Amino acid sequence: MKVVTGVVGNDIHVVANRLIELSLNSRGFEVFNLGVNTYLEEFFDAVVETGAEVLLISSLNGEAEGWAREVKLLKSKYKNLDNLVMMIGGNLVVGSASAETIVPKYKKYGFDLVFHQVDLNTGLDTLEEFLKERNK
Amino acid sequence: MSLLQEEREIILNNEFVDNFDFAEVEDFVRNASKDLFISHTFKTKKKMLVQPRGGFPTYKKQYALNEFFVEANVDVLPLTIDSNTRLNDYATAKKMLRLSEENDIDMLNGYPLVNHGYRTTRKMITHFNKPVSLRHGTPDARLLIETAIASGIFEIEGGPITYLLPYSKNFPLDKAFLYWKYVERVCANYSKLNEPINRESFGPLTATLVPPAITIVIQLLEMMLSLEEGVKSFSVSFSQTGSMNQDIVMGAVIKKLSRHYAKQINCEDATINLVYHQWMGAFPTNKDYAEQLISMSTIIASMVGADKIITKTREEASGIPTKEANAKTVANTQYTLGILNGLPNIVDKEEEEILTLEVHAIMEAVLNDSADTLWRKVFNSIKNGIIDVPFSPHIINHNEMITIRDAKKNIRIIKRGNVPIPDRCFEYEKAQCDLTKDTTSIVNDIIHDIGIMQ
Repeated sequence: MKVVTGVVGNDIHVVANRLIELSLNSRGFEVFNLGVNTYLEEFFDAVVETGAEVLLISSLNGEAEGWAREVKLLKSKYKNLDNLVMMIGGNLVVGSASAETIVPKYKKYGFDLVFHQVDLNTGLDTLEEFLKERNK
Repeated sequence: MSLLQEEREIILNNEFVDNFDFAEVEDFVRNASKDLFISHTFKTKKKMLVQPRGGFPTYKKQYALNEFFVEANVDVLPLTIDSNTRLNDYATAKKMLRLSEENDIDMLNGYPLVNHGYRTTRKMITHFNKPVSLRHGTPDARLLIETAIASGIFEIEGGPITYLLPYSKNFPLDKAFLYWKYVERVCANYSKLNEPINRESFGPLTATLVPPAITIVIQLLEMMLSLEEGVKSFSVSFSQTGSMNQDIVMGAVIKKLSRHYAKQINCEDATINLVYHQWMGAFPTNKDYAEQLISMSTIIASMVGADKIITKTREEASGIPTKEANAKTVANTQYTLGILNGLPNIVDKEEEEILTLEVHAIMEAVLNDSADTLWRKVFNSIKNGIIDVPFSPHIINHNEMITIRDAKKNIRIIKRGNVPIPDRCFEYEKAQCDLTKDTTSIVNDIIHDIGIMQ
């Protein structure tokens, strides 16, 4: 299964991004990693170009919300993305807030799976379960 | 007019820059106090020099920071440049500087040197009469360096590789090489007037599991690129790896090989110094532990035989350190250095041999590239993955090499990618690690290894 991943916005934190790529590979995904400092348009373009079924966006510097607000609007401009699994993880706010307030907010922005300060393996385990459930 | 001078006129003819008076600047450098030159301080001060980090937007705050540092017995003053200047965005830097001055809050994360100008900054530098080290992270630092030297700053940190691969996603690498070539030539030219201008490379790179062989190769190449343009004083550097033994081995090998490769290009007359960075990875949030870590770093720097140490603060994990925290760490580091006497000399022949073989093999591959100039050889080597920096965000970097820590916390290469690590060394590196684990456990180990000091 194909996954597009990368760090959103003007964020240059690359360590987790590399680990996500390694972990996805070891779980048998075909990974298209756009790296750090990636804009939303680039993510959707890559999904269209590769025919990926999953888009996994990450963010560390807390500025993801500024970008995530525009996800629905932008996604609607692309055709055939209705079945795309949208996932986001990392540190999703500037300052601090609880997952109870963050997760619903990001789901409203159009994400299926939201992980705020959750460790990598838990996030990817959940993704695999989600995919299994959906493809039943 | 020479080509270099023509280029200089164009660069300095920038709307944000005062009119440059070249004759006056030359006269200033020629007659400047020897105490402003770190190359002179290295020769005369028989101790490891202590240098903190630090930069504030306004002249007033930068001046106050320097006063604190002098009080704490600093050997070298830092001048850290703001991020807008690093991207040559002098208009934003100017606006933010004005806001900082008017509202008495810091709107910049460093000193906007180009906007302050050399006539103003020189007053501060000459007042304190200590060597100043320019810390930035600028791919195109041509105007910045002209302004720095005119201000009395005679040490310039950075280089085309070390200020690019860890700090940028897609700034063109070939341009970085050419812009830094200009910097080297300007430094070399001014070096003829008084004591030499010192250039310093930035060894920590991404500060995340970078294996010693990669760090050393990049240090050697930036040194050679600098020396071949005529620079006579250069500092190679690296940061604490997390293994005391690996640090000591690395110090021995980098010292030996920097002299070897300087000689290879007939530049053995240049002075090469060694700089050690206290732990550059994630810091413990517990401030007492942070202080312990800093003391430990100072002890290792002594065992490594560094000529200069760059300090961290107990506030590192929680944001930008205050001037008080910065001054305190200088005083503490000086104290630790003062009580360290008669350290044992540790040599690990097997590790030194392995590391030396690795560095020579990579250097040979770089120097054998068919390009006609050194910078093109290095450029090609990065492009084709002969040089590969773990965790670099830059798109040109291959990111094929994978490293983990062994049981003794040494950084080991377990996947070499295109980097020509000799088979014998690669087998040795892998033999130190438990590779029977599945990929998921190895990834978990890497996550643990990154946060090792927390």
